[in-house]
Amino acid sequence: MTFLRVAVTLLLAAPLAAQNPWGTWGAQAIPSLTQANVVPGGVALAELRVVQPVLMGQAGAFDNHLLGQAVLDGEGWTMPNGELTPGIWGEAFVDRRHPHTYFHELMLSGIDLLGSLDRAANVSISTGKGFAPFGSDDPMVRPVQRFPMNHHYSQILERAVLILGVRAGPVAAEAGLFNGDEPVSPSSWPNMDRFGDSWSGRLRVTPLPALELEGSYAHVRSPENREPIGLDQVKYHASARWDHGPVYGLAEWARTSEGGGVYVFNSILAEGAWHLGRHLPYARYEQTERPEEPRTFDDPYRLQRPVLEDNLLGETRWTIITGGYSFGLLQRAGFVVRPLFEASWIRVQRVDGGLFDPAIWYGREEGYQVSIGLRLGYGMTMPRMGTYGVAPSDAGRTMSGMSRMP
Amino acid sequence: MRGMMHVVLLRSTAALVLAACSNSSTGTSSPYTVTVKSGDAQTDSVKRTLPQSVSVTVTDKSNGYPAPGITVNWNVTAGGGSVTATSATDAGGVASATWTLGPVVGTQHVQASVSGGTPVTFTATALGPVPVFVASVPIPPNYGIHSTYVRDGLAFVCAWNTGVLIYDVGNGIKGGSPANPTLVGSVATTGGRVHNAWWFHNPVTSENRYLFVGQEGLGTIGTSSSGDIHVVDVSNLAAPVEVASFHMDSAGTHNFWMDEPNQILYAAYYNGGVVAIDVSGTLSGDISSRLITKVKPGGAGNTYTWGVQLHPGGNDSLYAIDMLSGLWQLHTAGGTLSVTSGGNNVPNRYSSDFWVTTGYIYTGSWDWARRTNLAGSLLKVWQLDGAGHPSPVDSILTDSVSAVSDVKVSVDGKLLLFSTEGGSYSGFWFYSLADPAHPTYTGYYAVSTGIHTVTFATINGRLYAFGAKDPASPALIILDVTGLDQ
Repeated sequence: MTFLRVAVTLLLAAPLAAQNPWGTWGAQAIPSLTQANVVPGGVALAELRVVQPVLMGQAGAFDNHLLGQAVLDGEGWTMPNGELTPGIWGEAFVDRRHPHTYFHELMLSGIDLLGSLDRAANVSISTGKGFAPFGSDDPMVRPVQRFPMNHHYSQILERAVLILGVRAGPVAAEAGLFNGDEPVSPSSWPNMDRFGDSWSGRLRVTPLPALELEGSYAHVRSPENREPIGLDQVKYHASARWDHGPVYGLAEWARTSEGGGVYVFNSILAEGAWHLGRHLPYARYEQTERPEEPRTFDDPYRLQRPVLEDNLLGETRWTIITGGYSFGLLQRAGFVVRPLFEASWIRVQRVDGGLFDPAIWYGREEGYQVSIGLRLGYGMTMPRMGTYGVAPSDAGRTMSGMSRMP
Repeated sequence: MRGMMHVVLLRSTAALVLAACSNSSTGTSSPYTVTVKSGDAQTDSVKRTLPQSVSVTVTDKSNGYPAPGITVNWNVTAGGGSVTATSATDAGGVASATWTLGPVVGTQHVQASVSGGTPVTFTATALGPVPVFVASVPIPPNYGIHSTYVRDGLAFVCAWNTGVLIYDVGNGIKGGSPANPTLVGSVATTGGRVHNAWWFHNPVTSENRYLFVGQEGLGTIGTSSSGDIHVVDVSNLAAPVEVASFHMDSAGTHNFWMDEPNQILYAAYYNGGVVAIDVSGTLSGDISSRLITKVKPGGAGNTYTWGVQLHPGGNDSLYAIDMLSGLWQLHTAGGTLSVTSGGNNVPNRYSSDFWVTTGYIYTGSWDWARRTNLAGSLLKVWQLDGAGHPSPVDSILTDSVSAVSDVKVSVDGKLLLFSTEGGSYSGFWFYSLADPAHPTYTGYYAVSTGIHTVTFATINGRLYAFGAKDPASPALIILDVTGLDQ
């Protein structure tokens, strides 16, 4: 955070004209009606929520040697009890996606810090609250509204981070230090006493302008306990991403192990979208393994925290196929309105025994989720959330396949 | 099955108002003066005999000297109960009586008088039959406290990755008491995850040298487990040292029971079933070769044993409670084990802890993952026939909790205690065993975050319940439950 303070001081102290400052902002929200029948109790449940309400901004100065990025997220107000999403879990929620923290991202990056000293290379340092250099982009900036189950296998979010990035031609490498503890509420901040107890590294290669290959590794200390008393996680991730013109595609593999490899969870995911004028059809296939942990008695969508004995009730493998369609109803004066419809087929299976039986818990092992929503936006195009400094190529700073979306 | 009335009793004690009392009297027609000597203003539970006798001093009015051989009459004047009817003064003019409080909560009175004299009044405060909070000892949140083993006034607190913490709660070694537990020593056993303990009092060698410590490793409940038994030399309680360990492949230990005269440790081993280990002599290094035998009561795939306990009547029955396959009766002789009866008798729920008395067994259930769509946690009562075969006779359903996590019966067999966690009615539950086949609700002490395990201990004549309070603020909770045990 010291770097952040210094950077802000410099930004404020320097003559404004010398900074070539710029800034842009935007907003998004998705009122969405969702119904699903793979829910505790075995009934069909429908809910109307405003999901992903964000206010975002980017700014630059010193000829873009200093970049700032902020995303404010209002899910703590609009969906404090989470978003109905069978299969998903994380931050003590299960079968509901947790609300993000109010300050989803608050990052500052120093770009090309060594000038010509590093010749063709480009070195950056980024710090603030945001994503650790690991995995793929935040699902919020991807076409499918339904969050993937692998959110916590493929992203490490909302941490206090310090990231060193180096880019040389088509290769970008990042290494980051951060706090292992994940948020415990929308208003929680990283436990700064734990800053540096976890680290990650990510390598990205861009052999073609539209193609990005990525591999990541992370060691996360006790993410599920505010104090460092829980199990550590070792995480791997690899992906190939295509983003060019009207076509966007992502294929990723993720693996998280806990307790020195006693528990291992794998995920594969493939998704794509194709802009056809105002029409945006998209699809996703995901197969992800999930730990089954004790839930609270009063709320079957919440997990018992703090974790007591670290034993699992079992493990399940979820296969989810989602198809969706979004239509550009309005795009005028910076405003964008896109109705969307999504449907998912869901199958859940037990893996390797344990007590947890989805047929008991959900009353079924196959089911559905459908959503009707209205993606509302204004202003700037979503940046590639979770990537800072020199890590993305210039062409990859925004989601070109998503460029017509808020 | 009987529904249970969830009444949270106020733990505040009965009124502490002390009635005014006279502490001396002369009386117009008596030649003696009677004054209170000791035993006034005591506090205890209803129906309890006060720990200190009540005494008066009788003096001769004419000279002020103690009057020996004078008969003092004692009478209960408020609260019911009983008191020694008469007693004679000794050479010092002192007469004493034993006072057993009546059933009335609040202020009770006894009067003492000599013939023709005005009586003096003693007052006592009678506490209701409620658990009385005594102490809360914070435990490092690492993750916290799992269970407590109490013996000889020492509490061995199993504090997970912190290790074993040894508290004086009445032993005297450090001046501790239940109200003021005092740390004596601690030890961090290999691998942490300290789950349970048993302090071995070896009648063969007369040594109290070894503490057996269970380690609960990682696993998937119902299928796999891990964790060893660690042996700690507690000869020096201030500096205990781990000296040996027992390992079994592909299974981890859970609760213990010890056949101390035969120097055999029986351990529940989850998917490994029940294990008998020879713990005689000196224990050092790897003692895995001391395995006598093991048995999976429910067979492979149907065994995940939570606990074991010998029948207190010494009939060679070892009972096992298995999360998957229910309650089993095993026959044991010299450590050999064979299934006698029971099993597959709790099909609707996953079983948890249990307690065995001479004629009955009380088993809990664990509801963090439902086996069926039945909600709530069940405590089942089993009656043992002449051969020790269990048959269900009653049950108690506690709704709005995720587990009956531990079950205990007091040494005198009068009081049943079970702990609950994960829900609105978490805490300590007390049931009278006046009719052991049909326990009746006696008291509840709420702990919102849950109580994971409990144990009874009698210290200086009083009965205490020790409970392991779940995080986020883990603690050893100590209650005085003497008033309930009648």
